[in-house]
Amino acid sequence: MKSIKILIALLAVTITAKAQFIKAEMQVSGLTCAICAKATEKSLRTLPFISDIKPDLNRNVFVISFKPNATVNLAQMSKKVKSAGFFVNQLKATVDFDKVKIANNSFAMGGDTYRLVNNAGKDLNGLLPVTIVNKGFAPASVAKKYNAPAVGNAPGSVYYLAI
Amino acid sequence: MKIQFIIGLVICCATVSVAQELYVNTEPASNMAAKSLGIRAENQGYFSPDFKNRSTLELMYGINRNLMVHGSIYASDFYQPKQKFEGGSVYAKYRFYSVDSVQRHFRVAVFAKAAANRNPIPNQEIVLEGDNSGLQGGLVATQLLHKLALSGSVSYLRAFDNTDGYQPVTSNAIAYTLSSGYLLYPKTYTGYQQTNINIYAELIGKTNPGRKESYLDIAPAVQFIFNSALRVDLSYRTPLYNRMVRNTQNMYLVRLEYNLFNLFN
Repeated sequence: MKSIKILIALLAVTITAKAQFIKAEMQVSGLTCAICAKATEKSLRTLPFISDIKPDLNRNVFVISFKPNATVNLAQMSKKVKSAGFFVNQLKATVDFDKVKIANNSFAMGGDTYRLVNNAGKDLNGLLPVTIVNKGFAPASVAKKYNAPAVGNAPGSVYYLAI
Repeated sequence: MKIQFIIGLVICCATVSVAQELYVNTEPASNMAAKSLGIRAENQGYFSPDFKNRSTLELMYGINRNLMVHGSIYASDFYQPKQKFEGGSVYAKYRFYSVDSVQRHFRVAVFAKAAANRNPIPNQEIVLEGDNSGLQGGLVATQLLHKLALSGSVSYLRAFDNTDGYQPVTSNAIAYTLSSGYLLYPKTYTGYQQTNINIYAELIGKTNPGRKESYLDIAPAVQFIFNSALRVDLSYRTPLYNRMVRNTQNMYLVRLEYNLFNLFN
């Protein structure tokens, strides 16, 4: 019985460690032509943690799936869009809140810290989309509203999330 | 008056549909994606008094998100009965200002061009795309306002002696352009494989300061984009007014451009 409990505890730890974004919806501003959209998508596809991208050119949106168990680096995604000549206007990523542990409105995932800026102590369960509001992921006015700075490329970054 | 009417028309007709800024006769302030290569093969010419044409091979590369470069070589039969290699040019454009939101952006870039050429120079127009050796520097601003994409540029051109000792008729010129474009097809995007059809109206002008030599051309253009990578441009430019001796009045343009993304990654 005791060993089963340990096993369950170990399993829980493993699952928590592998908590990661499930998918993301990225709206890119200024994408007015198919050549530009294709260049931007091809640039994003060079990132090793992205498994698939489905474009919705009418809404300037890329629906992005991530490889299971890969560490997602959101800052690199913003950088790739910028290198194609555009900007991320909105990034909504889906988090499995059953797999993360929230303390002080923050949780850790893939070596980065995620801070919930407008949660007000609500219980979060299951798959929920969060919007990254840092500079480089949202319009300047939104980043300013939450006082959310730009995010560096290195692990250990702090992302601000609106829910 | 006629010119104001045409400018008004250009602005109005471009408001109807989705804006496009892959201009045919001018460059927008936006750049190519970093690490992307564009290959252009182009033919331009005129039919009167005789059929003459110039071919251009141009490579374009995005160095980073703000800087792109072009390199071109030219051959024509403009100044002799047979086609001959004329010279080349290099061009760089640096985007230094961007304000973007989903349906609106404003971008400003500076650009510079240097050309070397060995043709004789009978014309008053300074043309760094095949006719003259010289330098050009200027500013281009592109505004996307919901469904309207407008782009304007102003630049200064300085001509030097062509190689083989030919002296330019004019040493200085001011060039200006105003472009607008819109997406004709598809009305609704379903994927990259869809053929896009864009139409453009562009105004191209030059004036030689202190010499009472100037012109303003209108250049309508149609553009097909296949598989989001191969671009075909067709255009014809004709003067709204013309007080300059030159080759470029009443010229057609046919261009193929192929884009390769994410090279050297």
